[in-house]
Amino acid sequence: MDTLPLAVTGDDAGPLTPAQLRELYSLMVAVRHLDTSAIAWQRQGIIPGYAPELGQEAAQVGSGYAVDTTRDFVFPTYREMGVARTMGVDMVGYMSTHKATWHGGLYDPVESRLAPIQAVVAGSVLHAVGWAHGQTLEQKDGVALTYFGDGASSQGDVHEAMNFAAVMKAPVVFFVQNNGWAISVPTDRQVAGGSVAARAAGYGMPALQIDGNDVVAVVEATRRAFGHARSGNGPVLIEAMTYRRGPHSTSDDPGRYRSLDEERDGAGADPLERLKQRLLADGAADEAFFADALAAAKAEEEQIRTGIQALGSRPGTEMFDLVFQETTPALQAQAANWREESEHV
Amino acid sequence: MSNSILEGVDAEGDSTADSTADSTADSTVKGTAKNAESPATTVMSMQQALNRALDEVLAENPKAVIFGEDCGRLGGVFRITDGLQAKHGTQRVFDTPLAESGILGMSVGLAMAGFHPIPEVQFDGFAYPAINQIVCQIARMNYRSRGTMPMPITLRVPSFGGIRAPEHHGESLEALFAHVPGLKVVSPSNPHEAYHLLKYAATRPDPVIFMEPKSRYWQKGEVDPGNADPSGGAPEGAKVMREGRHLTLVAWGAMVARCLQVAELAAEDGIEIEVLDLRWLKPIDTAALAASVRKTRRAVVVHEAPLTSGLGAEVAQLITQSCFDTLKAPVERVTGFDVPYPSGDLEDEYIPNIDRILFGIQRVLEYKRG
Amino acid sequence: MAEISFPLPDLGEGLIEATVLEWLVSPGEQVERNQPLVEVETTKSAVELPSPQAGKVVRIYGGPGDKINVGEPLIEFEVPDNTAGIVGTVPKEEAPKRRVRLSAVLDED
Repeated sequence: MDTLPLAVTGDDAGPLTPAQLRELYSLMVAVRHLDTSAIAWQRQGIIPGYAPELGQEAAQVGSGYAVDTTRDFVFPTYREMGVARTMGVDMVGYMSTHKATWHGGLYDPVESRLAPIQAVVAGSVLHAVGWAHGQTLEQKDGVALTYFGDGASSQGDVHEAMNFAAVMKAPVVFFVQNNGWAISVPTDRQVAGGSVAARAAGYGMPALQIDGNDVVAVVEATRRAFGHARSGNGPVLIEAMTYRRGPHSTSDDPGRYRSLDEERDGAGADPLERLKQRLLADGAADEAFFADALAAAKAEEEQIRTGIQALGSRPGTEMFDLVFQETTPALQAQAANWREESEHV
Repeated sequence: MSNSILEGVDAEGDSTADSTADSTADSTVKGTAKNAESPATTVMSMQQALNRALDEVLAENPKAVIFGEDCGRLGGVFRITDGLQAKHGTQRVFDTPLAESGILGMSVGLAMAGFHPIPEVQFDGFAYPAINQIVCQIARMNYRSRGTMPMPITLRVPSFGGIRAPEHHGESLEALFAHVPGLKVVSPSNPHEAYHLLKYAATRPDPVIFMEPKSRYWQKGEVDPGNADPSGGAPEGAKVMREGRHLTLVAWGAMVARCLQVAELAAEDGIEIEVLDLRWLKPIDTAALAASVRKTRRAVVVHEAPLTSGLGAEVAQLITQSCFDTLKAPVERVTGFDVPYPSGDLEDEYIPNIDRILFGIQRVLEYKRG
Repeated sequence: MAEISFPLPDLGEGLIEATVLEWLVSPGEQVERNQPLVEVETTKSAVELPSPQAGKVVRIYGGPGDKINVGEPLIEFEVPDNTAGIVGTVPKEEAPKRRVRLSAVLDED
């Protein structure tokens, strides 16, 4: 599906260069390696839990790649590690949420242009609309990019967000990663009509349904959507069709609701392998490049793991200090009481 | 007088029924009841106890239906509905799309159509998106319809903290629910209570919020299916889980087990603590509160939820009302703080720990009038 | 801890046995679902079998060259009895610890 007018001009409109394709590959390898390593960290007791994104590397890296962090703002869920990495977010700060250090992560959301990690399904979709409308009010040209999944598309807030954005012509790109599963519930038991993108028509909003495992298609679609929204034409919905190859989380057992055969059939071609074959076919990269990319990914993971292991608990006083900008006497009294009776960290 | 069910439950197998029969009159009665009505108690986890209760409710009431996110094929993320879809069919136990307001709003319609919905919101914090339907619809449809449209809805909510989970997976919402006219609220503290309270709640003609203490799901204990309360207490009442004469600890859900630990430690210091499991957070068993505190003359309320406007305030007021003349000290509250439930690293700083409860007890013990 | 055993799956086309070529995991190792476990050869081809389960390998059956019949044990995993819910961890039961001791002169009035 493609109902987005072809009207994009500007720097981003050209085809991806070989150097950019190589960069995308390097990012995807870094994300894949960190993601699979994080599962191992959980098994080793380094972190209590993790929500893997295996199979969604192209959707995340490709869409994150289109973001201009000097003016855009991104609203993630809890499964956007690949977007964060692509945007250059401090990854120890990002992964700290999975170490149960701080719910929203320890990275600076304002500086990095990535809103705090969001555990509420569809929780931040309306925030993107508000942020985007702020751009309209101040005549700025930033675009809000908001992520959610096929499961989240069932939440009423998503309807409200799309309707608001379309009514207000807010510069929002709604990016749905349709990964086929909401924990144990497949998309056909979740999304009536079979397509989230099809719903855009009801809001008079253009939509693109794309192959979310093809990083080039994802970058191009997201750039077009950004161009449309940035030019004052209102919101765009992108539905990237992909597949959650792994479990919902490190304590999920997919064997209870899908077979290995179903997984293999549903997953399609591996996004990394696809880009690799394209690079080889184009003569844009050789085996040495792929080996270097993997080595760099391993070194990066090592560094992030070291950072995560070195990360101590936050001081307990932060529980009290960060509730308000202006604290209350009652809260100060509770903090004092806590310090006296049970301060451990 | 109500008797601790734990005294009997601590014992293993039938032989223990005999051993406790010697010590108290009540357990003799219990032993008789056990032999007559229920051949055996079974050791099971709270997960299993809840699963069994739901299985029986489905078997006994053809109008009971269970639904929610991942309740069907997966059997729930905590396996509370494990196997129920296979046994009772996809019409009785089913997965819904991922929308809590949808789940609860749909429950209203099903109730209007004569069903007994037993929906689940997957975690406490997921109830927030459904608050509109819970508060504006479920809680007041009976009233709005002048009693012609009762809402026999049993909303199961895995609740409270203690498992190092992400945000919105460790909330304590009892005060929020209890404040809403038209809702009843209950929370079990062990497998036996879980089995009986869920079976009771799921057969009521009114909406009941059933708060399952998720940190206790894996804890095993004896369940006597044929004997909810050997002491003959009311099904909507509180229960004394340990008797004592110096101070009453009032708690519910996961905090009951912690208070029992505290009582054990306090005994080492010569302080005999009574632990009252409130069980029902609405309605609150004021008679049981009064009876216990009239005896002990001192009370501390313990809950995980934040302090301000928490249920501890309600409990303290009810105690003050009924026991003002005999109280030796103001009722203390040991609770979570007025902060959003923290990440796993700080969880133990937030949830009332043994020392904080002991400090609260000590403040009450050393209180001097004037 | 519980042990879960998996038999050699039906590899299709009416094949009733396979020969172990090489085990890619060993006892004591933590493996993930879909991770290649073993390379086996049938009369048709050599294939890698993916793990149907995440868990710790307890036992593997057959060394290189050994034949295994479809339906006979291939591998056993150890899985914990108490698995966490979809998030978080199962709390450990610990003996209660205290710093605070109570002291009181309890008059009996």
